Amino acid sequence: MKKTVLDHALKVRLPITIVVILISFALTFYLSRAERDGVGYSPEQPIKYSHKLHAGTMKIDCKYCHNAVDKSRHAMVPPASTCMNCHQIARKDKPEIVKLKKYYDEGKPIPWKRIHKVPEYAYFNHSAHVNKNIDCISCHGDIAKMEVVEQVHAFTMGKCLECHRDPAQKMPYIKDVASIKKGPEDCGSCHR
Amino acid sequence: MSTKQDNIKKTIELPVMKSGTSSSKNKFWKSLNFMENSNSKEVKKAINNEFSDGVTDDFNIDELEPSSRRKFLALMSASSAFAAVACTDYRDKGEIIPYNNKPEGVFPGIANYYASTYTENGRGWGLLVKTREGRPIKLEGNPDHPINQGKLNAVAQSSILGLYDPTRLQSPMKKSGEKFVKSNWDTVDSEIKSDLSSASSAGKEIVLLTNTLFSPTFSSVLNDFKTKYPTTKIVSYELFNENNKLEAWKSCYGNENLPIINLDKAKVILSLDCDFLATDGDEVENARMYASAKDVNNLESYSRLYSIEAAMSLTGQNADYRMRLTPELQYDLVLSLINAVIKKGINADSSVASKVSGYNLEKFVSENGLSEIATNQLVADLIHHKGSSIVLAGQTLTTEVHIAVNLLNDILGNSALYSKENSRVSYNSIANNNDLKSLVSMMNSGKVGVLLNLDTNPVYHFAKELNFENALKNVNTVVSISEFENETTKLSSYILPANNNLESWSDAKVRTGIFSLGQPIIAPLYDTRQKESILLTYISNEKYTNEIYHTYLMSHWETKVYASANVASDFKTFWLSCLHDGVLKTKEAVTSLGKLNSSSFVSSKNTLSKNGFTLILKPSHFIGDGRYANNGWLQELPHPVSKITWDNYAALAPKTAKKLGVDTFGQIEVSLGDKKVTLPVIIQPGNAEDTISVELGYGRTVVGEVGTNVGVNVNIFLSSNSSSNWILIGANAKLVEGAYKMASVQEHHALDEKSGMLDIKDLHLKREIIQESSVVEYKANPNVIRHHQSEVTSITSAVAYPGVKWAMAIDMNKCTGCATCTASCNVENNIPVVGKDQVSRGREMSWIRIDRYYAGTPEEPIASNQPILCQHCDNAPCENVCPVVATTHSADGLNQMAYNRCVGTRYCANNCPYKVRRYNFYDFRDNLLDGYYYKESVNLIHNPEVTVRSRGVMEKCTFCIQRISEERQHAREQGRAIKGSNVITACQEACPTSAIYFGDANDKDSVIAKLREHDLGYHVLAEINVKPNVTYLAKLRNVQTEGAHSEHH
Repeated sequence: MKKTVLDHALKVRLPITIVVILISFALTFYLSRAERDGVGYSPEQPIKYSHKLHAGTMKIDCKYCHNAVDKSRHAMVPPASTCMNCHQIARKDKPEIVKLKKYYDEGKPIPWKRIHKVPEYAYFNHSAHVNKNIDCISCHGDIAKMEVVEQVHAFTMGKCLECHRDPAQKMPYIKDVASIKKGPEDCGSCHR
Repeated sequence: MSTKQDNIKKTIELPVMKSGTSSSKNKFWKSLNFMENSNSKEVKKAINNEFSDGVTDDFNIDELEPSSRRKFLALMSASSAFAAVACTDYRDKGEIIPYNNKPEGVFPGIANYYASTYTENGRGWGLLVKTREGRPIKLEGNPDHPINQGKLNAVAQSSILGLYDPTRLQSPMKKSGEKFVKSNWDTVDSEIKSDLSSASSAGKEIVLLTNTLFSPTFSSVLNDFKTKYPTTKIVSYELFNENNKLEAWKSCYGNENLPIINLDKAKVILSLDCDFLATDGDEVENARMYASAKDVNNLESYSRLYSIEAAMSLTGQNADYRMRLTPELQYDLVLSLINAVIKKGINADSSVASKVSGYNLEKFVSENGLSEIATNQLVADLIHHKGSSIVLAGQTLTTEVHIAVNLLNDILGNSALYSKENSRVSYNSIANNNDLKSLVSMMNSGKVGVLLNLDTNPVYHFAKELNFENALKNVNTVVSISEFENETTKLSSYILPANNNLESWSDAKVRTGIFSLGQPIIAPLYDTRQKESILLTYISNEKYTNEIYHTYLMSHWETKVYASANVASDFKTFWLSCLHDGVLKTKEAVTSLGKLNSSSFVSSKNTLSKNGFTLILKPSHFIGDGRYANNGWLQELPHPVSKITWDNYAALAPKTAKKLGVDTFGQIEVSLGDKKVTLPVIIQPGNAEDTISVELGYGRTVVGEVGTNVGVNVNIFLSSNSSSNWILIGANAKLVEGAYKMASVQEHHALDEKSGMLDIKDLHLKREIIQESSVVEYKANPNVIRHHQSEVTSITSAVAYPGVKWAMAIDMNKCTGCATCTASCNVENNIPVVGKDQVSRGREMSWIRIDRYYAGTPEEPIASNQPILCQHCDNAPCENVCPVVATTHSADGLNQMAYNRCVGTRYCANNCPYKVRRYNFYDFRDNLLDGYYYKESVNLIHNPEVTVRSRGVMEKCTFCIQRISEERQHAREQGRAIKGSNVITACQEACPTSAIYFGDANDKDSVIAKLREHDLGYHVLAEINVKPNVTYLAKLRNVQTEGAHSEHH
């Protein structure tokens, strides 16, 4: 039997095309996943604030600025007045501090770029986690080493559940092992 | 094998209930249509199908209103613009905008509460306003306020929508020719000011038209205004007022201090056309006191309510004995009662005895078809409980009835129930018909130079024969200060936009010794001012500032209130503490009651007589005097009695309707003299024959887009001539061809009656959705409810709930069916308004509904109300059928909904035996009135703790999971275990009678755990073994005869 062009197309070209499409889809899917999840996102901020300097070198407690973290759903980005507690005096001549003072004096809020975001339909609560001795590091990475803050972990439901299901392994820094309880897995814990 | 099968068969067999007592044999019927046509195809369909016709209709874009399509195009272009922007940086997550200088005590994500004040016709309640990030999102009662004690009614709950209403007036306007042009405050202020001074110097009157004044400070502003402009006259009016009652009180006791009646101490209450649980007086306080004497754990003081009324009211629905009587005969009834009690040996003035001697109760009862058993019982009760019974007469009854009622209460010694601590206060008298007539004639003769409407709408409210609209033309300057456009602003020279209550400073004093203070919760959203400030700028020569009334209020409190309060602290501390508490209690003596002046009781002849149809005008339950017409939440709340939404109607007794040849949703033309109105009809079981009752407040023609032309305006019938403005005899009615379909929710979501699906005879008797008994029966046998509960065994093992298990209980003895729970739930859970068209298709979205059942005959029905919400069943049938596992059960017993997982198959709703699941057939926020909800201001009302649901998603009651989470968060902060009693659901918090209980069923010491084990506790549809977690406490009727309803069978 003579092979036709159609036979060739169906038996050779088609499978090859399908395989190529599938492989490229799979590759793109997995390779771009981190980017799609926002990992590595570090936008330029209106003021070049360094967490490395403040939280790392100077060891200012996270809660000095993010002081709603153990009270509220939101950790709270500090108001400019919090910065001015020190910068009324400290480093007044530096260009970034001049910028800060301008915002403060004009009574304008600083439009910080948002880096971490849980979707609107999930109700994440900072205080519920922090009050259970979960370190900021577990979700935000080691902020104290970052000159410019970037997202380190994906903020997906899968990621949340990894810790909720196996907290002891994911949070080795909690020494009191007996106190570690699994996080809730009920839909209503986050979705309402 | 076969034995095993047999066993299974046996276990899942439907249990057969033992026949209960007489009360449980009642055949309950949900509506006349369901009862009379129980075999018709439509009714069977309504009962068997989850959705009524129209609910599942296919979506057809051509059927949408053209405006919606415009909106769709606008949204399309908006979203494509958005998409273009989004593409520039797809990783962009927007900005976080912190405070520049954060106020102390405010944290994003944590609610702050502020005390304020709510006033409306006779009610002065303390408010607790919940704010998030500076926006008010929920109103609750202030628990420290002695009058409302933490509770509000449905109207006040929903009134928060008024703040964010996009149709609010946003800047001052001035009439130029026929049209209004936008102006600014400086211009209008100076023009009005010069008009005022020229009117005053020309000796022309300046009339300030107000509603009832409760505010001592505002009254003082008005006095200052009068000093500045000496020709000022202040006229106050209310659509429904207590003038008849007050006049009677004055002639009996010589003072104007109407008493507060301690209903909680009353053993017997007789209500004569007095809907004290809903529209007559301070219903929140009344309901609380009434319900506290309906405590099943304290049967000794369990009260008995008699209601004798013409139109079925909420109070009538709650009555233990209810009788029908046309209102013009109430006078004869009261006199017969006086005669009857005197004959039974109650002491009375001999002149009184001789005046009533012609009235024979037996004769009256037999002539007017009242129940002889019930009236005999009533007389016996009044005498037996003299000093602890009370007779209440409705505000619409004539002065002579009120005098007779005062007399009856006096000879029975019932004045013992008048509060010794407080009495009512009034700052101004409400204009009576003669006052209004002289106002209009002054206007017509050109003697009125300026008319200022202070938040009033006289063109809509005044009786037609006053011809106020015409009189306005003879007034040079008409100024309307109003939040919304209305019928009067249209005819004004200036329209000044007013602040919402939540943007204003205020104070109120409705009782002796109780001051309420109100503060602005949010800065004015638009270029508006509060009416007090506007008047102040006309008085003083200073320019307006935002603080002008604030300063005035403070100085008034400093000189008047602070001085008399006699406190040790300085004024600033005093002021701040009053502001914080929202209320100040002072010691103020109550005028002693004195002796009833029996010569006030003069006439012994009833001035009214039966003649043709009696037209009864009633206050609306939810839209006030029409002022809330633009509030979609209130328009959509089902009427507590008829369950009609978005309309008013003529309610007729079944026999009267038959006589007129009209059916529900038919139409009649009602005429009185030369006044005629065509009204849609509903047949209301329990209405008195030959009466037509209609609610006022509807048919507004100039109001925002939601409320325009909703219902029919029957204000034209208001009489300025008769002895009661609202009871009009000699009306005519005739059938008008054609039907008018109203959106009634009565036959939606029906649980009762026969189920064709199982087709078991008399299943509705066995289902026992409503279980009731009587006090006598319960005393004799505490297991009267329990003993006919089913024993059901499950084929699966029960799930254990080792930790917390959430549960609710509703005490049907306390529940009055007022729908405040529904209103509160709407606000808390971001429930959208869907509009009349969608309601009539059965697509209303309320998570908690009040089912109403009737038992007995259509003429003498006995009503039962039952709030139904998601029962959070342990064996929830909805969960098994969800193909995408969007609805699941939590470890603490909640039936959860994950909206973002739901694909909208609606299997769950189909499988829910309680019919509590609600489906978003549209994005209702977009569907209603051209995207009403998406308007920027309305967006602000949303509770940020609850997802705003979109099209294609199923939703239902969550047991306020956001409040449970809040308690969990607090427990973690404080390092303690979660405590069930700390969680208060929105419906529970709002319930004026505290009939709803919520908590942890596993906490054995908690109230909820005890109620679940209560003798009277039962579960609705317990026999299907879904193990619901809402326990209902069966209602006890306080009737003397064996079995609650036996006299009707």
